[in-house]
Amino acid sequence: MRFSEYWRRLAGIFGRDQAASELEEEMRLHLELRARQLRQQGLAADEAGYAARRRFGNRTALHDASARVWGWASWERLLSDFRQAFRGLLKAPGFTSVAVATLTVGLGMNVAVFSLVHAVMLQSLPYAEPGRLVSLWEESFLEQPSQFNTSGSPLGGAAAAQRTTVSPANLADYARSRKFAGLASFDLAAKNLTLLGAPERLQGEAVSANFLDLLGVKPVLGRSFLAEEDREGAAHVVIVTDYFWRQRLGSATDVLARSIMLDAQPYQVVGVLPAGFQSPYQLTDPERVEFYVPAAYPKELLSNNGRGDHEVNVVARLRPDVTVQQAEADLAVISARLGKQFPSSNWHIRASIAPLRDDIVRNVRQSLWILLGASALIVLIACVNLANLLLVRATRRQHESSVRMALGGGRSSLVRQSLAESLTLAGAGCATGLALGFVLMRLLVWLAPQSIPRIQNVAMDWQVFAAAAAVALVTGLVFGMVPAWHASQAQPAEALKTSARSTAARAQAHWRAALTAAEIALSLILLVGAGLLLRSFARAMGVDLGFQPERVLALNVNLPELRYPGTDQRLTFFEELERRVAALPGVQAAAFANRLPLRGGWSSGMNLESSPEVMLEPDFQAVSPGYFATLGIGLERGRLLARGDRKGQPNVAVVNREFARRYLQGADPIGRRFRREGEAWVTIVGVVNDIRRAGKTGRLNPQVYLPAAQTDLYPVRLADFAVRAHGDPRQLVNAVQRSVWAIDKDQPVTNIRTLEEIIGRSLAERRFEMALLIAFASVAVLLAMIGIFGVLSYIVNQRMGELGIRVALGASPPRIVGMVLRQAGWWIAVGTGLGLGGAFALARYLESLLFEVHRGDPWTYAAAVALLLAVSLTAALIPARRGARVDPMAALRYE
Amino acid sequence: MMRGERDEIPPGTLEMLILTTLATGPARHGFEIAESILSISDDVLQVEEGSLYPALQRMLLKGWIQGDWGKTPENRRARFYRMTAEGRRQLGREVERYRRVARAIARVLATA
Repeated sequence: MRFSEYWRRLAGIFGRDQAASELEEEMRLHLELRARQLRQQGLAADEAGYAARRRFGNRTALHDASARVWGWASWERLLSDFRQAFRGLLKAPGFTSVAVATLTVGLGMNVAVFSLVHAVMLQSLPYAEPGRLVSLWEESFLEQPSQFNTSGSPLGGAAAAQRTTVSPANLADYARSRKFAGLASFDLAAKNLTLLGAPERLQGEAVSANFLDLLGVKPVLGRSFLAEEDREGAAHVVIVTDYFWRQRLGSATDVLARSIMLDAQPYQVVGVLPAGFQSPYQLTDPERVEFYVPAAYPKELLSNNGRGDHEVNVVARLRPDVTVQQAEADLAVISARLGKQFPSSNWHIRASIAPLRDDIVRNVRQSLWILLGASALIVLIACVNLANLLLVRATRRQHESSVRMALGGGRSSLVRQSLAESLTLAGAGCATGLALGFVLMRLLVWLAPQSIPRIQNVAMDWQVFAAAAAVALVTGLVFGMVPAWHASQAQPAEALKTSARSTAARAQAHWRAALTAAEIALSLILLVGAGLLLRSFARAMGVDLGFQPERVLALNVNLPELRYPGTDQRLTFFEELERRVAALPGVQAAAFANRLPLRGGWSSGMNLESSPEVMLEPDFQAVSPGYFATLGIGLERGRLLARGDRKGQPNVAVVNREFARRYLQGADPIGRRFRREGEAWVTIVGVVNDIRRAGKTGRLNPQVYLPAAQTDLYPVRLADFAVRAHGDPRQLVNAVQRSVWAIDKDQPVTNIRTLEEIIGRSLAERRFEMALLIAFASVAVLLAMIGIFGVLSYIVNQRMGELGIRVALGASPPRIVGMVLRQAGWWIAVGTGLGLGGAFALARYLESLLFEVHRGDPWTYAAAVALLLAVSLTAALIPARRGARVDPMAALRYE
Repeated sequence: MMRGERDEIPPGTLEMLILTTLATGPARHGFEIAESILSISDDVLQVEEGSLYPALQRMLLKGWIQGDWGKTPENRRARFYRMTAEGRRQLGREVERYRRVARAIARVLATA
């Protein structure tokens, strides 16, 4: 059938009254014309009319035939089915409202979670042919080839590979692979904007010339970068974002003739980006980026000497028909060759790729799948509940069905009507579910930690809409089938033999019991999951970091390799900065290090003098003497690092307690010596308390603190600076920045955060996951409660007569309550058993989100079971008590 | 009026006749179509003339014909039908099909 025919058929439905009258008019005309013709042939008037009608045929039958052509009859029947279903539902407001509420909650939660998952994980990236875009990074293995213990196995294995940004020199080699259509680099580049309102530090990105072309993004004004602009010493050009153009340049039409001052240098504007453009970086961190400049890497960085500088992010586009695996294999060959060719910088470096879309969400994927799974469980529970309710209703109408069939009603009409009823319910539930889902979605976005990529893109679009409608329709059909089948099974003779309140439904009792048990099982799974996360969160909150993050400001001063080539220059800069900042009012202490706690760090292989054959791998930090005071790390034994521990003095180090515990079996480490491969011996002079460098949920590692001033011991790049304030550390931001710029006016200061903010962020995801799972579990329990209540109420109703007789014969109310509860008891028990098994099986997917809680934690399971039992019994008690209060006379009169 | 022996009318014949009628000349209303068909073959509509109308409805639905209300010479309201492009294609298909069948039948008869 053609589409246009469908359309005419549909249009015909609405114009059917008019169509019928038009048809009637045509027929009347025909009859009159025929009669007139016959009269002219000589027939008498009444004879002619009669003959015309006879020749014409049965008009009513012809009208019916026409109506059949349009298929109106089945439509009329459908309408009347739905009208009847609607009226029937209105007559049972209790049943209807519970059923619709169940669907609303189930669908609403799903809509919200699905829209989140959709925006974050499924929606394609806002670039041309996003499926071919991959993220490329380098992985660094352990630091030295000697990082093998005596048995010869690697200490960390592949898991020890650390992801780093890419060295531009290596990138040129990767770009030779024939598997890629192109590779583009990008990196953050904050610059000072001047001569355009108040001076402001803006976030921008330094990108390779092909960056925009590779993503398939065209400037709306002007052009992309040219290859020759991406060279050291080339004239400065900039492409600004739509925001910059509108807000800072007032949408000036002559924008391409303008220059803007960035870091005191003029940059010619060559392009304006389309509104809404987001770089791959912004997809993970919704920070505003306002301009793009060519990376123009210095020749030195691109030479073989620069291979050790891992500085840039890389996005690449695969050639059509090339798989990620093929490209990765090619990169492995190139990495191996570079490793042989440049062993000093590349022996431990390997390039790796992943689809850009997956890579962006790599940190949240697991949690999102879990959320999706949890919301699927909710839908399942809602469906079970609905099926249960419908079944109860169908049983209640058994008598009606039987009478209808006995009077000649067709089985199909019973089935149709039952389906119409569940579809009406599904439709109503779908509408309210979408409304609730929309509200929940906004709530979710509002509550979600900003670290979830693309969270700002969450919206309810047609795909979410379609998914919700599909779920509702399937629910309506599948669960409508249950009572429909039930209705079609009606045996008029059987049912009519007994009374309307018969127990003929006993055959279906096992169905309801099974459904209720399933509901309890599903709820228990969610309860256990929520409980495990809750306990994890409580554990994480209770962890003592070992240092005092309050009132500490952390910032990043990344000294460029080219201006500060040696460790000594960097040390001089930081010592000067520390001196200046310490002198600022409101500053209690200041310190620097290669990396502060909570901001990453490095480990390195070393040997203790006492056991030279064992390779150990503690975390290493190069710190200034004030580090311990600034972060509030306490000395436990020996001494801290001092100003005098400089080059030329004895090499010293401070270790933490975990170091002594794990490497020295608790023996006193003071006076012991260790060394890194090929370096000088270092004497341990002090022990400090343990800290959790990686945050509350991070691992406790052995730590070694080396004096930053003894740079030869550990020639890492100093980059982090910490300030402990007397008051609010945020107040010091400007003063500290000015101190940096007083030493070097071109030096950017980035990543300014208080340590408490960092901790809050690291716990935000955990809190979010936990809150959601608790919400899910609560809803699940509520639904289960409704289910138990509904089924038991029904059973008590059914047994009213029997209970009345028992009361009349002297059964005490507690005895009656006990009887009813026993009936509920066994499905609750079965459900609990199944739920425990299911929870334990599914908890392994939660494992990566757990913290210091085993997935089989007995307390959590016990608490979940106790809570569920308490709730179930409460739900069962209400109908049970009603059964006990039954008035024997009233009950018996029903019979 | 004498009635001859009635043949079984192959299904779809009425539609084909309506299309043939509408293929030439101006738009016609139901009675005119009926008269025209009667003049070609008085068998088809002999059962009951009214069966023309469900057929017209079916053809309207299929989009083969289009009906527009207008006035007869006697100034009566009537629906005038005309053939659409789709109807013309359909007629072509029908005629082709009919010829194919007729040829096949002729061959069968020739060999008998």
